[in-house]
Amino acid sequence: MDFSLLFPAIMCGIFCYLGAIESCCLLGMTGGYYIVGRPLVAGLLCGLVFGDVTAGILCGVAVQAVFIANLSTGGATNSEITYAAYGGIGLALATTKDPAIAVTLSVLIGQTLGLIFYNTRMALYSFFNNGAQKAAEDNNDSGITRWHIVYPQICTFFIRAVPVFLIIFLGQGVVDTLINSVPEIVTHIISVLGGVLPALGIGMLMNIVVKDKFQLIFFFAGFVLMAFAGLSMIAIVFLAALVAYLVFLSSGNTSAAKSVMAKASASKGTASAVYEDNDLF
Amino acid sequence: MANEVISNPIEQKTPNGKPRLTNKDLNTIWLRWAFTHLASMSYEKLQGHAYAWAYIPFAKKYYKDDPEAKRRLLVRHSVFFNTEPQTGQIINGIVTSLEENIALGGEVSEEMPNNIKATLMGPLAGIGDSIIQGIIVPILLSIGMSLASGGSVIGPLFYIIAYAIIGTTISYVSYHTGYKLGVNAIDAIVGENARRITNAFNILGIIVVGALAAGNIVLTTTLNIPLGSDWQSLQTTLDNVFPHILPLIAVLVTWWMLGKKQYSPTKVIVVLTAAICVFCLLGVF
Repeated sequence: MDFSLLFPAIMCGIFCYLGAIESCCLLGMTGGYYIVGRPLVAGLLCGLVFGDVTAGILCGVAVQAVFIANLSTGGATNSEITYAAYGGIGLALATTKDPAIAVTLSVLIGQTLGLIFYNTRMALYSFFNNGAQKAAEDNNDSGITRWHIVYPQICTFFIRAVPVFLIIFLGQGVVDTLINSVPEIVTHIISVLGGVLPALGIGMLMNIVVKDKFQLIFFFAGFVLMAFAGLSMIAIVFLAALVAYLVFLSSGNTSAAKSVMAKASASKGTASAVYEDNDLF
Repeated sequence: MANEVISNPIEQKTPNGKPRLTNKDLNTIWLRWAFTHLASMSYEKLQGHAYAWAYIPFAKKYYKDDPEAKRRLLVRHSVFFNTEPQTGQIINGIVTSLEENIALGGEVSEEMPNNIKATLMGPLAGIGDSIIQGIIVPILLSIGMSLASGGSVIGPLFYIIAYAIIGTTISYVSYHTGYKLGVNAIDAIVGENARRITNAFNILGIIVVGALAAGNIVLTTTLNIPLGSDWQSLQTTLDNVFPHILPLIAVLVTWWMLGKKQYSPTKVIVVLTAAICVFCLLGVF
């Protein structure tokens, strides 16, 4: 056991708690899950505690690419990003500092241990919800505070920090096995999997935003701008904003046209009533 | 009707003489929910109990002498609730204005707040998730990642500062807009104009997702094809015709599995892993 890892491992555990989706310390999800929980930021933070910021950021960028389309809707998520970020990047920095190893470890941890811990926690916390419900029914303010915040957050701290600490502190052996003993085809498969994994997140995003088949034209437009023209993301965002504005303007014309037509047919109705007046002729 | 009390705060006397909410009270409710919305997250209640906790100071202010009303307030805000935490603050604002009306003896019924919560949590989750998780976060991350190339610390710092400002601003503005508009905010959320704006944002999101797909999925083939008497890499040929075609096929297949075939994400992971294993063993990837 390498005791120089003690402090960094503890800090990574704490960061995993702070960046968890259910953490309440940094303005809820705003500062926690969406900032500290992102691998890009995790790379910086892990780099700081391990004393090698550049390596940390390089690992962070590599891992972030895999998790860029990580999605969490209604409590369900496609990959537990916070465990993956701190477990994977932390363990990589503790051993080889290689971004490819960081990606491998993150994919493994996020898809397996991370999801197991996450789903178990989600099921267990019904217990705390029952306590808070009873406290509300008993008109017990401090009870609600205890059952909604204090007890769950203490539990969350241990569920988040302890596994990550153990992974980093005791995981040297796993990494050695990974590099030396595991056949190369397996590490190759994991690295290909890491490259394809964003497709899952992007597929989930498509499920949310693409409402019918014809909207795929916009998807292909964005794809082509990046794949063929090689534009940067910022450029594509501005072009996309232009297209969105044009769509907005044209949808205004359609709904205005609809209401004009509705008025026209209404007035046509009254006009024909005038012509059908028998006393007119 | 329910908003008559709110429109002229200084001149109109409240029906039962109790004071209106101060800015400090409003920000307390905003912050309490902003910090703890998922603190006791479980599949059963998700963000439910955060509402009760956020309204404890409110209950202390208005129901000091009516513990039964306070109990009803806390219990009705302990039901299941889930929405996007930042844009969803608009619901919190609307509920605050309704609860204030109830506390001041106005005409809003005690079932209204939960009706509003139940009606709006779905639409706001959809709009909010596609704006925040589909557009804002990936774009900021992409910019941060390109700024961080070579290990520069500017990348992560950019993302931290940019998202901290944007996320907090959205949360704060949503809350106070919801409070000011009260029930009228619903029309702004699901009315005709809102539909056009959401539709336009949707289109923006689809284009960005397309660009994300091209930029972030990595899949190349290692196969070689015969070219005359030599072997040429298949990937080079593909790149000359349609760069990133393999990632495109991968993401379309994944979308088809999730959407048309309704596979769960875990099942898709299993299918993808199995497919990758097979193809790698065959030497394709």
